[in-house]
Amino acid sequence: MNAIEVENLRKEFKSYSSRSGLIGAFRDLFTRNYKIIRAVNDISFTVKQGEMVGYIGENGAGKSTTIKMLTGILTPTSGKVIVNGMNPHKEREAFVRTIGVVFGQRSQLWWDIAVQESFRLLKKVYRVSDEDYKEHMDHVIETLDIGPLLDKPVRKLSLGQRMRCELAAALIHNPPLLFLDEPTIGLDVLVKLKIRQFLKEINEKYNTTILLTTHDISDIEALCERVIMLDEGKIIYDGSLQKLKENWGEGKQIQFTFANEMTLDILKELTDGLQVTWKKGEQANVWTAHAPSALLPEVISRVVARYSIQDMNINEISTEEIIRNIYEEGVVHG
Amino acid sequence: MFYVSVFFQYMAQYMKTKLQYRADLLVEFVSDLMSQAVNLVFLLVVFGHTSLLHGWTRDEILFIYGFFLVPYAVFGAFFNIWDFNERYIVRGEMDRVLTRPVHSLFQVILERMELESLLGGVTGMIIMVYAGARLHLSLHWYDIFLFILFVLGGALIYAGVFVALATISFWSDARTSIMPMMYNISNYGRYPIDIYHRVIRYILTWILPFAFVGVYPASYFLGKKEWYGYAFLTPIMGVIFFAIAVFLWNAGVKRYRGAGN
Repeated sequence: MNAIEVENLRKEFKSYSSRSGLIGAFRDLFTRNYKIIRAVNDISFTVKQGEMVGYIGENGAGKSTTIKMLTGILTPTSGKVIVNGMNPHKEREAFVRTIGVVFGQRSQLWWDIAVQESFRLLKKVYRVSDEDYKEHMDHVIETLDIGPLLDKPVRKLSLGQRMRCELAAALIHNPPLLFLDEPTIGLDVLVKLKIRQFLKEINEKYNTTILLTTHDISDIEALCERVIMLDEGKIIYDGSLQKLKENWGEGKQIQFTFANEMTLDILKELTDGLQVTWKKGEQANVWTAHAPSALLPEVISRVVARYSIQDMNINEISTEEIIRNIYEEGVVHG
Repeated sequence: MFYVSVFFQYMAQYMKTKLQYRADLLVEFVSDLMSQAVNLVFLLVVFGHTSLLHGWTRDEILFIYGFFLVPYAVFGAFFNIWDFNERYIVRGEMDRVLTRPVHSLFQVILERMELESLLGGVTGMIIMVYAGARLHLSLHWYDIFLFILFVLGGALIYAGVFVALATISFWSDARTSIMPMMYNISNYGRYPIDIYHRVIRYILTWILPFAFVGVYPASYFLGKKEWYGYAFLTPIMGVIFFAIAVFLWNAGVKRYRGAGN
């Protein structure tokens, strides 16, 4: 069964612009200029039950808008959305009982009351029975290590503590589908690791589908086999992370720190005939060569033979860099 | 049934929050009580100088005012939505509300509950008892039920008007000054309706029916037979206006744009 089915989904917003000056403001009173902005532009994809999918894109690419349509917060302009076999905005109240949502920048918990009181309220709201709650949440609370935090009010928690509680709160009704919007934003490494580990665990244990948006590519690398990449409201890549790396991350980077300053022309001439691109580093004597792995020895030997170097580093191309490259070019080829 | 139990769960949480700040609670309680007392004294002083207004005696006017305070207090305790635009639309709290399996308006009401407003109702009842005693009003056993019905009707009318106003935020995110204006208009309902011009009377009866919050239902208890028809319309008007507001709300939620981040 598919957890999420999206077909030609579109969301348009009217964006009003105001004219300049007093006369402009006066004219705005009667007729306002507006543009229609397509935040999400005819996207289609499906997510199978149990998949963990990374949904990535730059700010304003339409990630949040998509998530909000999938969770029933926003009504789509056109297109089809079926999530957990339901139409999110039409059957909102029945539908949201089957999903869990965490917005990293917005608290789901009540600020003034103790965490366990928030849980108790949510338990009531989601109509979870005492036995189910106990069986499921005892485990969640233990794994996320939030037992000692339960009797503290949310406003007294640190960001990392709060985030773990948010995650637990989103799982009170043990939903088959979990939406996480920037769940690790601003968290330190240890908390991040703990959260990732926890997400993996519930995915294995309950076959929970997880859709995750994040700016932190390492989240995606750790959790998701599949990524959907969005740019200006359109899907520009949908497939495995592995394949993305193979197509884009082929080759290695070698960073040379030369003893003297170097120019691009000299280096180009040096590696003439080889498939190498050079990029200038922060200083005039630091240059990075990007070359297929097979050519690596050749490049190094040519450089070292002619010029004296102080230092040399060989790096894999990071996923982050791959994604940045894709955004710079706009489309994914291959 | 589910909604009732959710309601009590929220109420319990609300109490717990309040009880957490014991000192605050005490101060708040005392200051609420004081402000109600000041209100009371002020009223008695003001009405001490009027004896007759369009055939209404001082005590009758006072009684209407006392009655008005009760539905108004119920409204104030549960429909604290004057900052809905700011809190839920601009700050995007509505996102959270919409991801929970309870009707969104019901959640907003529960989250913004302010039970201490109910104290105003106590003041209202004191005024009613005081004015009623001086008027030698006789009550039937069923009047208490009618009272509750009228109070609920009045509170629903208030709620209907203000919820409808709050839904404007779904269509336009600009802040409007309609809310405070409406609070002013709503005050007209607490005076005898026949002191106003025909047009205003019509408006206060059918368009912004604030007369149903004060003068109409109160006339029933004052034994003013000419207003009985209107008095019994109170709960019906309440249900109609609140239903319209819920309808507008539901339509508005579909247009909700979310807060940009």
